[in-house]
Amino acid sequence: MSDLDDLRAATRAFLSAQVSVRSQLHDDPALWKRLTTELGLMSLPAEGVPFAWACAVLEETGRVLLRAPYLSSVVAATALQQLGDTPHLAGLADGSVTAALALDGRLDQVVDAAGASLLLLADGDDLTVVEDFTATPLEPLDPTRPQARVEARPGRVIGTAHHARDLLHVALAAESVGAAQRVLELTVEHLLVREQFGRPLGSFQALRHRIADLTVAVEAATSSAWYAARATDDLPVAAPLAKAVAADAFVQVAGDSIQLHGGIGFTWEHNAHLYFKRAWTTALMHGDSRSLRRLAFQRAGR
Amino acid sequence: MTFREQVRTWLAAHLVGEFAPLVGTGGPGREHEHVGLRTAWEQELGRGGWIGLGWPTEVGGRGASIEDQVAFHEEYAQAGGPARIGHIGEQLAGPTLIAFGSQEQQDRFLPGILAGTELWCQGYSEPGAGSDLAAVRTRAVLQDDGWHVTGQKVWTSLAHLADWCFVIARTEDGSERHRGLSFLLVPMDQPGIEVRPIVQLTGTSEFNEVFFDDALTGADNVVGARGDGWRVAMGLLAFERGISTLGQQVGFTREYDEVLELARRNGTFPDFEDQLVDAWAGLQVLKHQALRTLDSDAAASTGVEANVNKLLWAPWHQQLGELAMAVAGPAALLVDRELTPLQNLFLFTRSDTIYGGSNEVQRNVIAERRWKLPRDRP
Repeated sequence: MSDLDDLRAATRAFLSAQVSVRSQLHDDPALWKRLTTELGLMSLPAEGVPFAWACAVLEETGRVLLRAPYLSSVVAATALQQLGDTPHLAGLADGSVTAALALDGRLDQVVDAAGASLLLLADGDDLTVVEDFTATPLEPLDPTRPQARVEARPGRVIGTAHHARDLLHVALAAESVGAAQRVLELTVEHLLVREQFGRPLGSFQALRHRIADLTVAVEAATSSAWYAARATDDLPVAAPLAKAVAADAFVQVAGDSIQLHGGIGFTWEHNAHLYFKRAWTTALMHGDSRSLRRLAFQRAGR
Repeated sequence: MTFREQVRTWLAAHLVGEFAPLVGTGGPGREHEHVGLRTAWEQELGRGGWIGLGWPTEVGGRGASIEDQVAFHEEYAQAGGPARIGHIGEQLAGPTLIAFGSQEQQDRFLPGILAGTELWCQGYSEPGAGSDLAAVRTRAVLQDDGWHVTGQKVWTSLAHLADWCFVIARTEDGSERHRGLSFLLVPMDQPGIEVRPIVQLTGTSEFNEVFFDDALTGADNVVGARGDGWRVAMGLLAFERGISTLGQQVGFTREYDEVLELARRNGTFPDFEDQLVDAWAGLQVLKHQALRTLDSDAAASTGVEANVNKLLWAPWHQQLGELAMAVAGPAALLVDRELTPLQNLFLFTRSDTIYGGSNEVQRNVIAERRWKLPRDRP
């Protein structure tokens, strides 16, 4: 077991004991406190460990559709750390400060902005830090991922925006992979126990083959996210590609999950719709898959 | 000098002179090219110590790391090394003998594979046993002078060149399905064996049907226990981790580049931009998948890596062939003496999703092995 495996296992153990997908419909400040103090998950960037570590955590938070500003804040902390912009690093590391990201420059729908004391805002090619902003919560289709409309005063330019955007794409890819793996597992579990025509649904080849195809999509996405989380020179190509591949796989498996669950999958009580909505939130925000593939293609010089 | 540099240096020094015509030859649709010279090249590789890189040193291999083996395949593809004529021996027969063969069998057969002097073919599929391999009807009976083999195999690549064939045959009277089969090694050069080429939809031929009419092989040429051939035949699959995949992808990249270049040259790039971008992205994913599969630190094995890889690359390759035709337009429908490389790609990739376990079989394996989903029949 490597240290990375330990971190992954500890995070999974904590989240599976403390968090249910249903509990992610509401903010839970106590949970954030435990994640950042007991587990110390926000101190990873300050400890100088590779970004792949945060990505391993994000796969776990994705599995339970965690509603907490971890993704935004850990991407912000990593970007600030790498740029040597120190004022907020200590607060981010201990969880007392959370950040929101508006890296496509749009302020009308910003994830995790309500409650954040820090905003990383792309202003053209510039990356700015904004402390003076107000966030008005919106009613999101995806109840596990809060959004807000933001009004912001101009901030301080600290670097270029594209690298922070790459980090965000890698983070979203990792989170999507975790969520896609989990919803696939849940779907298989259903096919193993649900019987019709006197036998488990999972024995019907039409369904077995769909599961196999979803497995291939999820494995491919896992690989692209894995690669991007470790990429250095290749990051500008690997990051948008990983986000596109992972979001597409997540959309595919979450949509098929509802279908394969049958009627129960269409109910509010079942969690399938929460994965489905998170998948589409991921796919539609921060660049659609077609544009991101094209961006990667161009960046690769093709 | 790193291992990769050693490979590069050796190839630069040896894939020249008499072997220069081999650059970029062989492979699907082109297996008929330079057969004699490629056989000599296999022996040249053997003399250079490049066969059996991943085999343990105890049996004469190099015991090379996965990383070094990947480097070899990449450099080999980069240099335009010809399609290997000894790969069935090196990648299938050899590892099977190492895992299941007796000391005598290893001593007898491994040196010929390592030296490139003995070529192999695989006698698995039959007219009535394709995806359902356990339905084989070829029989072998042990008599005083050895095993007498009677039956028919199909899709036997390189059978017309091979010195030996490993054959799955039913040896136990009254046995059924996967029980009672044996894994036999049969010499090809004998009156009881007839090899007939199968003309494929490309109009060329590199697969064969092989007729065994009371063909003979020694009593000791059974690998593993008699009647336990199914385990031997399947055991090989477990070793396959796709080390040659990254080398294969060098070839894929070359093919992709050719399609992209054609689209830019004939002005169709704007029409096919989305497909060309998607195909490029798919190729990157293949690379990521191979690197993660081969990385020992990556997440625990799912046991279906080879099946997932096949379901990723085979449809990707097939779609590239279709895209090549679309980009070329109606001109791609005319044949000028022989098929162009893109026409070959288009037609040959229809077999990618069939051989080595059809896509449908791969899906069943994933459902059963990865997820323990029940079979739809007992």
